[in-house]
Amino acid sequence: MTLRFIDWIWHVKGRLALAPGQTSDDAFTRLAPLFRQTGTSYERLKDRLTFQKKDQAAQDRMSIFDSGTLRIENGPHGSELHYRLVSRALLFCFLAAPLFLSFAGATIVIGQLQRPSVEAEKKPEKKDVVLPQNPIDKALGAPAPEKPKKDDKKKDEGPSPTPAYVFAGIFAVLYVVGRILEARLVKRLFQNSLRAT
Amino acid sequence: MEGVRVGNRMIGTQSPVTVGWENLPRVEGGPIKRHFFTWFQPAALFALIAFWYYAPNSIATASTAIGIGIGFKALLLALEWVNPRHDSWRLTWKELVIDLFYVGLGFTILRMIDGYIGDGVMIEAIQGVFHWEKFAWFMGLPLLMQAFLISFIFDFGQYWMHRGMHNWYPLWLTHAPHHYITQLNINKGAVGNPVELFLIGLGVGGFFDFLPRAALIAGTLGLAVSTYQHINVRFNTPRWWRFLFNTTEHHSVHHSQDYEASRSNYSGTWIIIDRMFGTCVDGEAELLGMEGGRKMSIRETMTYPFTEGWKSVNARLGRRPIDPIAVPAE
Repeated sequence: MTLRFIDWIWHVKGRLALAPGQTSDDAFTRLAPLFRQTGTSYERLKDRLTFQKKDQAAQDRMSIFDSGTLRIENGPHGSELHYRLVSRALLFCFLAAPLFLSFAGATIVIGQLQRPSVEAEKKPEKKDVVLPQNPIDKALGAPAPEKPKKDDKKKDEGPSPTPAYVFAGIFAVLYVVGRILEARLVKRLFQNSLRAT
Repeated sequence: MEGVRVGNRMIGTQSPVTVGWENLPRVEGGPIKRHFFTWFQPAALFALIAFWYYAPNSIATASTAIGIGIGFKALLLALEWVNPRHDSWRLTWKELVIDLFYVGLGFTILRMIDGYIGDGVMIEAIQGVFHWEKFAWFMGLPLLMQAFLISFIFDFGQYWMHRGMHNWYPLWLTHAPHHYITQLNINKGAVGNPVELFLIGLGVGGFFDFLPRAALIAGTLGLAVSTYQHINVRFNTPRWWRFLFNTTEHHSVHHSQDYEASRSNYSGTWIIIDRMFGTCVDGEAELLGMEGGRKMSIRETMTYPFTEGWKSVNARLGRRPIDPIAVPAE
């Protein structure tokens, strides 16, 4: 099965025009500091640079990417930098949403399985007792203490799937934000590096 | 590196650690900004305590506490953006996703497992055989005293569990992944192996649920004090606060790449417990983590205690030499 229809999920592609007269040698020299990071190895062959990252630090400005290729090609308007970057973080975030949906499903199933046993365990209610309150708290106006009510209805329903749904939603939103934001950030990073004096 | 002598120990010989409050930077900027970041912490703490003290019984519930907790953490995330302690700790998209993944596990699958085998089950079993009449004296104490005792007793247990994790190899294996974080942000407290999160969650805090208001005020101490362990915000924390309570500064020392520094400041809320037992180091560090700041992946975080434990068992049985990375913290 070919992955080319879905690899946009974890691949970031783009291109940048080099300054007029800028050689590939000069471009890669300017970009090289980005790859001199802990956990990063890179190889340069003529007009192509490939890199790999492992356990990259959070402070690495390209920490979201795990590998990639940068090429200098001659286009109709001069030389261009073409890049194709691979991000496991984007893929992970994309998959986190269905993962949390599956947690929600599991929560519902487990809740249904345990419901009969919970009902069977219902205990007779104890008599209400008056709880003591310190005179200082009474004088300061704190509400009188009440015995905590056991929320039997909630217990009967079992664990709630709501948090799992919320996190699935959070990761779906984060994926969209990250896919757009990180593509722009890396393009700006390359642009600034190429133009740095 | 020379390091600084603190008691019998040399702190900062392997990685930079600033020792002593007088050597730490202050909040920079205009008077409003400095005023805000000087008074925010005590104002928030006292406002939250007052809220829980006077809130009607219908509002003083666990669900309200969860809502306030989420809102407060969102506010602190915004403060990280406005006034970061270190630029190198700035929250990136990737760090946010990873942190929220662990937070999400805590709210979903781990909470479900905890409901079956965690402290909730043990506490319910103990409460079932307990004679509440014998606890009437505790319920008759002033509310704030009850809250303080609940918080302090809980933190005392956490202190020894945490110190145990830094001193006993099997427990260290569960805690080590948390020490691979290289920066402090609001949700970093949730980052770690689920076994550790389960162990650190074990405590007597839930035992006091029959005193809902006192337990909620105690919980607020956790929210409005303990949360600052992991945060990238520069505050001018008052002297009395940093004497009593754990701070970002203390916890950054605990997460330092310096081995001796990492063996300090174990408490979650009450740093005075560390002062009592001679493990407190007042100061701060920016370079955090293990193995020179190597980032641990989520996969490795999940498997680390088991893979390293397996390697250690094999080494003990003479099958394979031990991996030097797996040497316990003490």
